[in-house]
Amino acid sequence: MRTARKVFATVVLASSIFAMGTTAAAAAGGTLTIGFTVSETGPLNVDSLAQLHGFELWRDQLNAAGGLKIGSSSYQVKFVTYDDQSKSERVQQLYSRLILQDNADFLFSPYSSNLTATAAIISEQYGKVMLTTGAAEDKTYQLGNHGLFQMYTPATHYLSSAMAVIKQKNPQAKVAVAYSDDGFSKAVAGAAKEEAKRLGQPVVLDEAYAPGTTDFGPIINKMISANADVMVGGGHYADGATLARQMYDQKAPMKFVCLLVAPDSPQFASLGDAAIGISVPSQWEPSAAYKPDFGPDGAAFGKAFKEKFGAEASYHAAGGYAAGLILQHAIEKAGSLDSAKVTDALNATDATIFYGHVKFATDAQNHGLQIGHEMVLAQWQKKDGQLVKEVVSPAAAQTAPLLYPLH
Amino acid sequence: MRHPMFWLILAVTALFAGLPAIGGDVGLRETLFLAAVAIILASNLNLMIGYTGYVNFGNIVFFGLGGYFGVWLTVVQGWPLVVAVLAAGCAVSVVALLFGLGILRLRGAYFALATIGINEAVQALVSNLDVWGGSTGIYLSVAAYQALGGARQALWIVYFLVVAVMAASLFLSWRIRSSKFGLGLFAIREDEDAAAVLGVNPATYKAAIYSISGFLPAAAGALFFFKNGVIQPDQAFDLTLSTEAIVMLMLGGQGSVAGAALGAFLYEQLRGYLLTSPLFSDFHLVVAGLLLLGIVLFVPGGLMGWLTQRWPRLRGKLE
Repeated sequence: MRTARKVFATVVLASSIFAMGTTAAAAAGGTLTIGFTVSETGPLNVDSLAQLHGFELWRDQLNAAGGLKIGSSSYQVKFVTYDDQSKSERVQQLYSRLILQDNADFLFSPYSSNLTATAAIISEQYGKVMLTTGAAEDKTYQLGNHGLFQMYTPATHYLSSAMAVIKQKNPQAKVAVAYSDDGFSKAVAGAAKEEAKRLGQPVVLDEAYAPGTTDFGPIINKMISANADVMVGGGHYADGATLARQMYDQKAPMKFVCLLVAPDSPQFASLGDAAIGISVPSQWEPSAAYKPDFGPDGAAFGKAFKEKFGAEASYHAAGGYAAGLILQHAIEKAGSLDSAKVTDALNATDATIFYGHVKFATDAQNHGLQIGHEMVLAQWQKKDGQLVKEVVSPAAAQTAPLLYPLH
Repeated sequence: MRHPMFWLILAVTALFAGLPAIGGDVGLRETLFLAAVAIILASNLNLMIGYTGYVNFGNIVFFGLGGYFGVWLTVVQGWPLVVAVLAAGCAVSVVALLFGLGILRLRGAYFALATIGINEAVQALVSNLDVWGGSTGIYLSVAAYQALGGARQALWIVYFLVVAVMAASLFLSWRIRSSKFGLGLFAIREDEDAAAVLGVNPATYKAAIYSISGFLPAAAGALFFFKNGVIQPDQAFDLTLSTEAIVMLMLGGQGSVAGAALGAFLYEQLRGYLLTSPLFSDFHLVVAGLLLLGIVLFVPGGLMGWLTQRWPRLRGKLE
């Protein structure tokens, strides 16, 4: 036990010294600290790191421009981050540390809904504001929290634009819904089925598959034998890309296919002709032309991102940047770092930025739920022999007409 | 005068309960909470691996099932937390007994594989169980903590309950080790057939210890996920945590009460330190892996094995 105590004492001592250093720096340099965990390792790391890049670009641009201004004072933004390993196990420990030892003034959420719900139990206790990106499930905002503010369109609206497009093109279309059996995909698919019911479109196949599925042959056969006209569903990258390829190989005669998440990645183009016509609901696309009330426009953000990271910005990266921008706007509006005042400013936010419209629900039942932002529907199309992702809906952001029917 | 182990367990429990309570240190509480959960998992796994010689790779199934029973009884059925935690422990023990009667006929690698199979099967079942939220799981609202005086107070209460479960795990391991039942388990570990000849009924003993080793991890699972605010199948039945519990046991020394606890505590502190250290955080998994590899290669008996070899007098005092 003596060894254990020594190790323990060293850890506590090191933490205290680190915390003291942080406090001193904050007092001396006019620093604003934002704390959050990143899934640097584990299954969520690709999307979580893209989001981190968005946060970093916002921070670096802001600091280079003189920092965040409150009255006559300027604050340089500093991040304190830890790896949550894509697991909820340590999230409460790390958020407690961010608030109590690292003295974070504001918080960003971890990536994913369940990790965010876990972190919110801590952030709420200390009255901290936490902007969430990558936490799309509606449930997370219906738990009675006051300081959570969602940047993403909620999961229940992910397929709204796809269902509207289907209704417009073929009001009698028979719908097949095949989705990964995980929380997010299930919530999205459940809402799509409800929407189909509301619009009077028959759901001829309702099939959940295990997240690690690699053989979609039986599901595709079911779609074909059910005479489905359109297919919506999917889950994440690996299963979505495999499903698209196997539908192409089996020549599934779908007139319209919309998959979650996977087709948003630039990697999806590696599927070649199998990618043509596949659409994806996206929180943001580089070509989406919104006129911002403040901050950069989409083109300027995309260019800056590519210059800094050498890659196209995904919607996860855009969500990260947008979260920083909205927080900055709210702090400047509030004219204070006080959490209660910034919460009021966020409650009153009703703005359009490069990412689209942003407005938060303020009723007790759904506080913080995103109600302003609309997702765009993007579709892979072939232009001059090259695969490109075009925005096909809504009309305000459209860059090309929808390719329909595919067969 | 009681055995030194009694006082040691009492002192460790008092330190766990008292240190964060003095001054209300939430950061320390969170650190010790994870350490206490690790000690509970490793100590109860020790009953199977260290005492009986049966490697239970799917030990996390008890923790996850307990979490589901506990959260469901508290949040959906409205039971008081302590009652729900005890009920979760009992329910999982019964389930473990039924599983145990089926798979404990297997030995060695076959048994280990079967325990993984059970974990996977239970996860698949829970993912399709609508009453437990299926794959989306169960989320706890802020109101769920009101019965305990709000989230801030509830988290302290949950912490003290976890420390109590940790103390119970250590006492249980210690008492079983020095009991006739424990000697029967050791006999099975050394040679199951010889133990049967000596009058030990291996089937009964194994089923009983498998069931007992599920009770306290299930109670810990109920408390952990109540505090966590959400329970979903992939996090409740995460095989990595199962494997980590085995690593903790190897690190501390299997078969030893103090070894299991020490291994769990040190492993947990090491992971926590590496994750938050500015120096190591970018390659914390590499450092943790190398350290563990070194220990397994050069100190195969674990820390307790090394300590008792160096100071043989400790053997009678630290069990």
